[in-house]
Amino acid sequence: MEEPFFFRRGEVPLFGMLHKPEGTPRLGFVTCHPFAEEKLWSHRVFVSAARALAASGHAVLRFDFSGAGDSGGSTAESSLDLYLQDLAAAVAELERRVPGLERIGLIGLRLGASVAALFAERAVENESLARLRAAPLILWDPVVDGEAHFQELLRINLSTQLAVYGKVRETRDQLQERIRAGETVNVDGYEIGKPLFESCALPKLLNAEPKRHAGPALVVQIAANEKTPERADLAALAGAYPAGTASRAIEHPFWREIKPFYGRAANLQRVTQEWLEKTHV
Amino acid sequence: MSELRAVSFPNQKGQKLFGTLHMPPAGAQQKPCVVLLSPGVKMRVGPGRLYLPLTEALTALGHPVLRFDFFGLGDSEGELSETLLADIYNHIEVGRYVDDTLAALAWLRSQGHSRFLLGGLCGGAITALLAARRDAAVIGLISLGMTVTLASNAATPGKYLTTKQLDGKRHQYFRNLLKLSSLWRFITFRSDYSTIWHSMKRLVVKPAPKPAAAITGVAELPPEQRGNANPLFPPAYFEFLQRGGKVLMLFSEKDRLWSEYEEKFEVPFAERLKPLAGNIEKHVIANANHVMALAEWQREMVAFTRGWLTRTWAPS
Repeated sequence: MEEPFFFRRGEVPLFGMLHKPEGTPRLGFVTCHPFAEEKLWSHRVFVSAARALAASGHAVLRFDFSGAGDSGGSTAESSLDLYLQDLAAAVAELERRVPGLERIGLIGLRLGASVAALFAERAVENESLARLRAAPLILWDPVVDGEAHFQELLRINLSTQLAVYGKVRETRDQLQERIRAGETVNVDGYEIGKPLFESCALPKLLNAEPKRHAGPALVVQIAANEKTPERADLAALAGAYPAGTASRAIEHPFWREIKPFYGRAANLQRVTQEWLEKTHV
Repeated sequence: MSELRAVSFPNQKGQKLFGTLHMPPAGAQQKPCVVLLSPGVKMRVGPGRLYLPLTEALTALGHPVLRFDFFGLGDSEGELSETLLADIYNHIEVGRYVDDTLAALAWLRSQGHSRFLLGGLCGGAITALLAARRDAAVIGLISLGMTVTLASNAATPGKYLTTKQLDGKRHQYFRNLLKLSSLWRFITFRSDYSTIWHSMKRLVVKPAPKPAAAITGVAELPPEQRGNANPLFPPAYFEFLQRGGKVLMLFSEKDRLWSEYEEKFEVPFAERLKPLAGNIEKHVIANANHVMALAEWQREMVAFTRGWLTRTWAPS
């Protein structure tokens, strides 16, 4: 059964979609989508993954962070801290709607995976998030270098300038200066402001220092093909978890506009499900 | 403050479609319900959440707004069999989601709504028009970047580009002439020679002006002008206008859809359009790209739509 609804983080309405399995689930998941237009391109991959998990007996809450999808707010005001608050509200909403859950895992992609990883570390200290501590943490191609990620986003702005004006009117440095001065910069229709830029555009958004999340953690590198070199940073991140596993899934970068239509990421889904079975969850 | 509700309803195949219904503030005089249709494979918020500021403006004017996902997309049930985006786009252009749109109207009727405006960007706009043809309760269209061709971006061969597109390409080629990477592509057979040829040919071969005849369908156009024109567009458009439907045609200046509309529809069908011109309001947003990414373009789109709605459905 799939049930759409709105819930709140303070005054901000957040959109959620609950995938409820038959029977009484003991394990639930909350998904964390990537930023900006990557969310729309990857949306259906999350839908199909959530349906597969529900078919395996797990409850899944997909939700839109503030400033994304149907949720309220705007990316101009977004920040890492607000994303973590959104996620806390989503976890609480899943607990409220599916009261019998023993553990709540997180699944994230790209910047959403980074938010999930940072949230899992916070959960260690927070009694109200006890259900997350021994639960699976699944990170699909997490953004480790936030600075590089935001440089990629700014490149989209430069491409738009080139396409529209035939030249770059504002350089990357000027764009960054404007953000730091408190203005916003448009990326594919999303305004990036200072709070998000300063909290997420960090070279070590995720580092390889030992992590406290004690539950099983899966870090998946999404590789375009077999020849794609292994990412040492992701392997190191997996190694930082007490029960971490590094894995690879061959998929196109489905979070961007590419020629194939991605209704599901079959390899990624298989790698994830097999790992879940292996870790006896 | 408008009232917001997550909703679902079945399509004709029994698949559940998910959406959000936005009701005007309590006490506002209720106006026709607007259904915003998803473009391409993007979900019901549109690229860059384009539909959100529009929804806000529409509800403020008293229009309830429904946004929903077509089957196989967004949150809705169903699976698409295509493996390429281009194939999905082509199927949308010939009406794949008309039935889902009619299902949305049927559901809205069950909720007490009786008159509708359909709107959307690109694939959403052509779906709106094709659905309007099949439901007389649709009285207006909010078209953002109407597509009048069958070709998708990725598959458009050089011969189908409009003269504006070809001129733009030629300027780009000239700018890249001194770039080593461009020259390397050219001499290693990786350039799009067909487009290069067609764009350069325009420097020496000027097409003779076409006689303005009262053309009634795409099939009557000469092959070189027919090109990749969507044969479903002109009959649906004229039928809707002739029954009194009102149309807002908004385009982005830097979008190929604008030059395609002009060259592949407006010019060849000019005679037939003349008596119906009073039902069409057209506006081009300067410099805007296909998805109206910048906030200033979105504001202009919203402001013009608001003005059109106020002028067209002002209390008599």
